[in-house]
Amino acid sequence: MTDAAAETGIRRQRVGGAGGLVTWAVALAVLFGTWQATLALGLMQPELLPPVGDVLATAFDLVRRPSFLGHVGVTLAEISVAFVIAVPLGVLLGIAISESPYWSQVLKPIVFLIFSIPKTIFLPMFILAFGITFGQKVGFGVFSTIFIVLISSFSALESIKSDHVRVARAYGATRSQIAWRVYLPSMAPILLEAVRLAMIFNLTGILLAEMYASRAGLGQLIANWGENFMLKELLAGILLISTAAILFNEAVRWFERKCEHWRT
Amino acid sequence: MAEDKTNTKLRVVSSLAGAVAVRGLGHTYNTSGRVTQALADIELDIKPGRFVVIVGPSGCGKSSLLMMMTGLVAPTSGTILCGGQPMTAPDPDRVGVVFQEASLYPWLTAQDNVEFPLSLRGIPKSERAARARDKLALVGLTGFEDRYPHELSGGMKQRVSIARGLVQNPPILMLDEPFAALDEQTRISMGDELLRIWEETGKTVIFVTHSLTEAAYLADEIIVMSARPGRIIDRIEVDLPRPRTYAMMATPRFAELRERIWNQIKTQASE
Repeated sequence: MTDAAAETGIRRQRVGGAGGLVTWAVALAVLFGTWQATLALGLMQPELLPPVGDVLATAFDLVRRPSFLGHVGVTLAEISVAFVIAVPLGVLLGIAISESPYWSQVLKPIVFLIFSIPKTIFLPMFILAFGITFGQKVGFGVFSTIFIVLISSFSALESIKSDHVRVARAYGATRSQIAWRVYLPSMAPILLEAVRLAMIFNLTGILLAEMYASRAGLGQLIANWGENFMLKELLAGILLISTAAILFNEAVRWFERKCEHWRT
Repeated sequence: MAEDKTNTKLRVVSSLAGAVAVRGLGHTYNTSGRVTQALADIELDIKPGRFVVIVGPSGCGKSSLLMMMTGLVAPTSGTILCGGQPMTAPDPDRVGVVFQEASLYPWLTAQDNVEFPLSLRGIPKSERAARARDKLALVGLTGFEDRYPHELSGGMKQRVSIARGLVQNPPILMLDEPFAALDEQTRISMGDELLRIWEETGKTVIFVTHSLTEAAYLADEIIVMSARPGRIIDRIEVDLPRPRTYAMMATPRFAELRERIWNQIKTQASE
């Protein structure tokens, strides 16, 4: 059993390290290659699909434009505030609900039901209620994110082994010690996964809200560029946002891998 | 001469600390309106330093009895005294516990796991580390301090669990079927390990098992329990010489012991 565990560990590490970079390089090569090939073969007009070089040049130009960076700042602020509210709130609420047998029975099914509803249909209501403001977008971001955090917290709590809690009790741990020394580390792997998923939902929600109705922000830029046929900027924007999202995701996954060794 | 007196005094004091008594213990529980009696009329008087094994059919309540003796569960009637004081809550300074599943924390190394009870008390790192390493050496795991549980075999995990139970130097160690999840060969070697540790430390050991062989091999005294409601139906003094050896298992005396236990239990199991 020890040998098998060691073997799997080694295999996992190899794929994670050098394998990751190679996958990256291949993915980019395929993407840009197909892109250029489509143009070269005349399958798409350059007005609708500018060449890779042009788009990359525009991207480099954009990140130095103060007006663009201003919009980035707005979106970043909205995302951060919504994230910092939704994740801790979701985890604490998730724990509170799970710890009460009564509220568990009542609220868990409701959470799952609401989770299955696409949040975008509530956007007009948010605008009617809160106007087109920073707060409205943050609110919508929290609304989009909190359900996945709740559901992940339920799952994280269920993953806590009662044996682990019993050991802590046998050695005289107080309730707060059990919460910090047993609950939290047990929940860490699933909660990290929740952080990753939460950001995806968060980013999607906020960009959508910005695209729908906003005075500032990346989503508003994207919508604008699209409406005005500014393809180079549009594709550059897409590339930049995609890169940022992927980098965040990979950072969390790297962190998750460090916790992986105890998650059987 | 004065030194001798102090030593004797210490030994007497420490030996009182290792005494375990159970008086008039009974336990009933309620499930959806039905009242079930799990344990009845349990009386035990365990002298310090003895190795006592509790054996009985499945479901007889032996594990529940042990959980009550560790203070994790409160019986509905009766008292448990460890070192002359009632056990109303877990007290790792008096009783160290080893469970069937080693239940090591997978996010901690072997040494951190052994240090865990001490870290709950706020004992500084350097002292914790020294005591943990000392106990890991006692269980024969020097060199494995920085391994994580998933890198350890079942037997090694149980040894870490035993080290953890010993780290606060309680006079009493209670083990709930600790070798049940191990393969036969590991069970035999772990049994010898436990006897060695017991002989080195002189603690009172209370060991629950369903294995007749383990009971006869390890114990000074075997407590045989009936099926539910669990009662004590036999107390057997094991007169096999120590140190116990594997060869003893082939002797007629060993077979007699096993048969005596089995005769009691099989009438219970069939009821």
